[in-house]
Amino acid sequence: MTIGLTHYLTVAAILFTLGVFGIFLNRKNIILIMMCVELILLAVNINLVAFSAFRGDILGQVYALLILTVAAAEAAIGLAILVVYYRNRGTIAVEDVNMMRG
Amino acid sequence: MVNDLLSAYLPLAIFIGVAVVIGLALLISPFLIAYQQPDPEKLSAYECGFNAFDDARMTFDVRYYLVALLFIIFDLEVAFLFPWAVTFGALGWFGFWSMMIFLGVLTIGFIYEWKKGALEWD
Amino acid sequence: MMATALPSILTILPELVLATGALFLILTGAFQGTRSINLVNGAAFAILVVAAIATVFQTSETQTAFNGSFVVDDFARFMKVVTLLGAAATLALAIDEMSRQLQKPFELAILVLLSSLGMLLMISANDLIALYLGLELSSLALYVLAAIDRHNAKASEAGLKYFVLGALSSGMLLYGASLIYGFTGTVSFAGIAAAVKGGSGPGLMFGLVFLLAGLAFKISAVPFHMWTPDVYEGAPTPVTAYFAATNKIAAMALTTRVLIQAFGTDAAEWRQILVFISIASMGLGAFAAIGQRNIKRLMAYSSISHVGYALVGLSAGTQDGVNGVLVYMAIYMAMTVGTFGCIVAMRTKDGSVETIDDLSGLARSQPAFAFVLMVLMFSLAGVPPLAGFWAKWYVFSAAVDAGLVPLAVIGFLTSVVGAYYYLRIVRVMYFDDGPARFVPLSGVLRAVLAVCGIVVILFGLLPSPIVMAAGAAAKSLF
Repeated sequence: MTIGLTHYLTVAAILFTLGVFGIFLNRKNIILIMMCVELILLAVNINLVAFSAFRGDILGQVYALLILTVAAAEAAIGLAILVVYYRNRGTIAVEDVNMMRG
Repeated sequence: MVNDLLSAYLPLAIFIGVAVVIGLALLISPFLIAYQQPDPEKLSAYECGFNAFDDARMTFDVRYYLVALLFIIFDLEVAFLFPWAVTFGALGWFGFWSMMIFLGVLTIGFIYEWKKGALEWD
Repeated sequence: MMATALPSILTILPELVLATGALFLILTGAFQGTRSINLVNGAAFAILVVAAIATVFQTSETQTAFNGSFVVDDFARFMKVVTLLGAAATLALAIDEMSRQLQKPFELAILVLLSSLGMLLMISANDLIALYLGLELSSLALYVLAAIDRHNAKASEAGLKYFVLGALSSGMLLYGASLIYGFTGTVSFAGIAAAVKGGSGPGLMFGLVFLLAGLAFKISAVPFHMWTPDVYEGAPTPVTAYFAATNKIAAMALTTRVLIQAFGTDAAEWRQILVFISIASMGLGAFAAIGQRNIKRLMAYSSISHVGYALVGLSAGTQDGVNGVLVYMAIYMAMTVGTFGCIVAMRTKDGSVETIDDLSGLARSQPAFAFVLMVLMFSLAGVPPLAGFWAKWYVFSAAVDAGLVPLAVIGFLTSVVGAYYYLRIVRVMYFDDGPARFVPLSGVLRAVLAVCGIVVILFGLLPSPIVMAAGAAAKSLF
């Protein structure tokens, strides 16, 4: 059996679904949510690199490189906001993020 | 086709093979030849002759977080340098100045974090 | 090889002004510290105004830069001017608010500049990569802005929620972008349009749906609106004004460009999605706002419903429809800045208040303030002859012309429901008794409120200037 484009897309789709479900089903910890976001972005990168390789077009890899770097900045900002939040509330449990409702 | 692939990666395969053999040999030989004498002290945490002060799984200082965050940004932005360096000959002055501007922006960010005292531990 | 020519300076002049200005002010702030706060704030305001003027005087021919990934046409120029004016006005509100706070972070003005730069890139994005980079540049700065009040638990919670849902939405948008790239083999909007012409398969449809979901997050349309009320309530009021008045406009411009220029040949596929989003946004915005007591939360639901009305015009997919969207967003910006200016002005001696009941008796204690807020509320409700009425009129008539009569009827009905809660605020101000609570307005607030009030009234009486500009802008997209 040869590994074709479909296989890569399937792996990426599974990772993407895991990431999205991880965000909504996780009730414990905000760090886990951030890991799920990273999982989604990596799924996108698999997609892009696979398409780029199978189409022989370099732009997909350029896109993937840009996503990697922007994702690093995004993770840094997210963790910084999380630290600020922790200093104010003393917890990072998901069920405690409920000061505003309605 | 398949042979080409194999011959191209033959040194790597040999290297992996040697690494696995040596690693396994070092892992297994103590079980066979070591002098065994179980003792609870051998399993306890070792800290320069003292008893351990507290749990080794302690939380990190939040200041370490800050350093790690700043590191990850600069670390990954450098990823742009590799493709730039590889194709530098073909890019010409436009490519050169684009990267210089990019590095200039990074430097300004670095100056900002330095001046804000983010790099000082205390 | 890739084109190696430097882009013409004039094409990217507004962006260049913002970028160099922001970098220069970062250094100023870093070396001078809080002493430079007035200099940084004033300079940032001037930079936004200069960038807006530079945009106005750009040539009206369509120009591209950076290998076609950045385009400047009349559409981009119109939306950029609206966004930059909104940013300048909300920055003025923020500076006014900051003068009363103990914390005076100079980073706020710089973050406003950087996120405005990101919004300009969004508006001018002409391929999927530029789209993503512009979106992230503006979003990353906005996440920090939401939590800029570091010692306030509510603000940091708002920042955290905005970050998590924003990151999720970028992930979905990217997944869609990757599928579109894979099934068309190109990232440029023109290339996608050429590929879509031959009919789109299920893979491409999936890509478009994910892309739309990500964009719907950014414009806070139902069913991706859940972050909006919490973030609007938790973030500092001027920052909320900034979210509502600029980010939404830039994201709407991006959505319009993607749908019309990249997927315009395939309008039947996305129209039903858009009609659904539009109806859901109008409905939820109208009904969920009824029970709100906090005026910032009410404005969040109001902004959701206004996105729904703007999407009515986009659903039409015609030049008239885009014209309606442009007029709507411009008027929406003026009304939102004015209303949030009023909310910033709700200051007692002990601090800011934000419930609707605090407005009671305002007509007697501060009649001018109450009058401006009444005009803005009537305009938001769409009462003729104010500006808000014309905004709705243009999108609804475009929808009727495109054969979407039921959508226009639903839009009309929900705006009647929505009028109820806007008029309730007017009733509280004019018919309920209450003590004089608020401290007198500062000069900056008076100026912002006066300008917004005049724009809303004047445009109602004389709509042609904005409509003409929007018409030229809409034409450049087709």
